[in-house]
Amino acid sequence: MKRVIAMVCLLAAPAGAQDFSQGSEAKSWNLYAEQPARFEAQVVDMLCLLSGDCPDNCGDGRRQLGLLRAADNVLVYPNKNSIPAFTGATVELLPFCGQAVEVDGLMIDDPDLGAKNIYLVQKIRAKGDADWIKANRWTKEWAKAHPEAKGKGPWFRRDPRVKAEIAREGYLGLGTEVDEPFIKELFE
Amino acid sequence: MFLTRSCGALGLMAGVLTAGGSFAAEGTRIQVTGEIIDTWCYYSGVMGGPDAVRGSAHHTCALWCSAGGIPVGLLGDDGEVYMVLKIAGDDGSASGDTQLHLASHEITADGMVYERDGIKYLVVSEVVADNDITNLNHDDYGPVPSFAIPNPNK
Repeated sequence: MKRVIAMVCLLAAPAGAQDFSQGSEAKSWNLYAEQPARFEAQVVDMLCLLSGDCPDNCGDGRRQLGLLRAADNVLVYPNKNSIPAFTGATVELLPFCGQAVEVDGLMIDDPDLGAKNIYLVQKIRAKGDADWIKANRWTKEWAKAHPEAKGKGPWFRRDPRVKAEIAREGYLGLGTEVDEPFIKELFE
Repeated sequence: MFLTRSCGALGLMAGVLTAGGSFAAEGTRIQVTGEIIDTWCYYSGVMGGPDAVRGSAHHTCALWCSAGGIPVGLLGDDGEVYMVLKIAGDDGSASGDTQLHLASHEITADGMVYERDGIKYLVVSEVVADNDITNLNHDDYGPVPSFAIPNPNK
């Protein structure tokens, strides 16, 4: 009987993928496979959800966070925040750990590359809140965490861990001895 | 009436079971060899085609993205991208040290794979082999993006 009910429920469900672009105010990044997408979701710790390994507060920012979409229970992966500066979405979503939210941004579904449910979040608000919060806190939080790296230029030129990796392995990751002739030829 | 109530109950149950993350998905043991990649550049095409956003050409950008908290993936020899959630006890999948050290490296990983909604997720229990960077494509593409290496003459 339960199996019959489940099958009937599946058949009764709306056919095809839902359109989440309605009402979206997402700005284009001119990406090949981008689609505006605004939807309600729960912010979840992905490792917890998938494997059952669940620390407090979604891992306090160490872990990637997901968006469990309310309309269809699909787990969306926010890879990116709204800053064009090599920055992810965890810092933006962590204040909403476990909460119901609404997000607006760009969805990437590109079958040629295997991309599905990959998301760039541009703004977020707790469900029911009137005001949106822009998903652009990352660099401010980085600056607070790295006062020793204060200076001119973008964060990625000043980040202590990135600088240490480049100092040890070079820009190509193959050793500074490989970098030297390559850079010389590149800028001749 | 009975059917509507039953469907509603099943839907509610699905929501409750997933909300707290207390009912985990079933994983499959896997050993896979591939390259640790920056998934946003790979999936979005923002820096160019998929072959250009890998290897030594893209190494500096891969460091930036990993440090910046963009998810890393393992592009397996099977052509699949496995989104990495944990590496050998380090759950720092958002800007963690272990994944930063492995940027652009070819590794063999042993662990559990979980598949959900079209994405494969990898929890690495052990890095069986770390072969460093084997994809030497900087002569083909130059630095990607072009400003990855600053001009020493300026």
